[in-house]
Amino acid sequence: MDAISVEGVAKRFGDVRAVEHVSLRVPAGQVVAVLGPNGAGKSTMIGMMLGLVTPDAGRVELLGKAPAEAAAHGLVGAMIQQGELVPNLTVREVVGFVGGLYPDPMPLDDVLELAGLTDLARRRTGRLSGGQVQRVRFAMAVAGAPKVLVLDEPTAALDVETRRAFWTAIRRYAAGGRTILFATHHLEEADENADRVVVLSRGRIVADGTPAEIKRRAGGRTVRFRLGAQPAAGLERLPEVTAVEVSGGFATLHTADPDIVVASLYSTGLTIRDLEITTPALEDAFLSLTVTER
Amino acid sequence: MLSYLRLELLQVLRDRYYLSFALALPVAFYLLWSSIFAGDRPDPVTGLPYSVDIMVSMASYGALGATLMSTGVRLAAERRSGWLRQLRVTPLTPTTVIVVKTLAAMSLGLPAVILVGLASVLWQGVRLDLLQWVAITALLWVGTLPFAALGTLIGSLTGPDAAQPITLGAYFGLAIAGGMWVPLSVLPQVIRDVAAALPSTRFAELGRAVAAGHAPPLSAGLVLAAWTVALGALAVVAYRRAW
Repeated sequence: MDAISVEGVAKRFGDVRAVEHVSLRVPAGQVVAVLGPNGAGKSTMIGMMLGLVTPDAGRVELLGKAPAEAAAHGLVGAMIQQGELVPNLTVREVVGFVGGLYPDPMPLDDVLELAGLTDLARRRTGRLSGGQVQRVRFAMAVAGAPKVLVLDEPTAALDVETRRAFWTAIRRYAAGGRTILFATHHLEEADENADRVVVLSRGRIVADGTPAEIKRRAGGRTVRFRLGAQPAAGLERLPEVTAVEVSGGFATLHTADPDIVVASLYSTGLTIRDLEITTPALEDAFLSLTVTER
Repeated sequence: MLSYLRLELLQVLRDRYYLSFALALPVAFYLLWSSIFAGDRPDPVTGLPYSVDIMVSMASYGALGATLMSTGVRLAAERRSGWLRQLRVTPLTPTTVIVVKTLAAMSLGLPAVILVGLASVLWQGVRLDLLQWVAITALLWVGTLPFAALGTLIGSLTGPDAAQPITLGAYFGLAIAGGMWVPLSVLPQVIRDVAAALPSTRFAELGRAVAAGHAPPLSAGLVLAAWTVALGALAVVAYRRAW
């Protein structure tokens, strides 16, 4: 049984098709990033997964149950966007309360430690900074030790330092064999933290694979070297080369297999200087995948 | 369910706004009015000495305010802030949430009832049977039900910005027309005509009847029950849509 099963869901708001017939199966234990620009339909899709948004079509199951039922059984924890805390309570009271709603919660001290809140446990919720509130919301999501954890842009508005600590905590949580699905538009977050990346654009899944596969799909890699005054003719006929650009005295060869290109490059008789092999950042891959949709 | 009730009560009991409006104000008003209308002269409408009549008025006023304030404004704020959505992904069910919120709102009226009663005993030497005190407290607890429903209705329909003035308006309107601020006997006839049908008048009447030594009239119970059913039905519909 899949941890998350989304079958042909669709949702429109007025004339806007937020999500169009998306299907996605996430086996237990996988960490999945849903990547997409703002307005791609990430939050709507997550809302449908959690039962907060009713799909116009299709169905969602979490561990074989409808979302509301899965929530009632304590199988789900979530950090949704825009979730302020209630006032006049301490961090410990809020997190302890949410954990206590679940049948088999994590010990409260462990939760606070995981979320980096041990020193803030007695502080009132109204006196926390934005980043601290975010950590409390993360603690609330994991307090019940849910099998499925869903995080909608969990690190939005966090500084780099806090973000790093945050992902360390999330990876620790995932190490217990839990299923995690998170939405982000920070590409490096998807690259570094997910087993699988699902790219969403205009309400549709446009790519689905490991971070490496996504990068490969988006046009492969380049071999670049200083050409100087040497002729560029013939470079495009080298094996595995798909395109050649020459500018500023440099030649850039596009290829899916840079090893073969480099090997054949040395047999051309050209003088090869300043050789570079580059793999496009996930950002480039992401742009090339979503831009075609526009 | 108990942990949620505890959380709801804690939030409000630590709120300075609640402490001043729902607790300090009714007690302060009692001390003030009972000193101005001193003496055992009975009120022409209720027949109660002023010290007792004002005690019931202020206890009812405090309970009414606490119940309205802790439902409407907070529910609107929790809908806006995403806190309710956050609770939806936990094992807490919407029914539990609304039942607990109603219980909490009703119970948050109790401190005012008890403190005003205490002030009347200590300041004006009011003496009632223990059973009367228990009955007044219990009736002013159960009797807040229509106001909890009204608050839930306001909180489900409006945003936090509108909920605040609407709640205050309902609060003061119900309190004044219900004879809680000044005795009904000095209010214009128009208001007195409307007052008989208002839940706040009938709510205070529960306490006044017991204080005068007899059971509340059936009409008071019927008016309150009718308001509870009507507002409760609307509140459930509105809350379902809002949740």
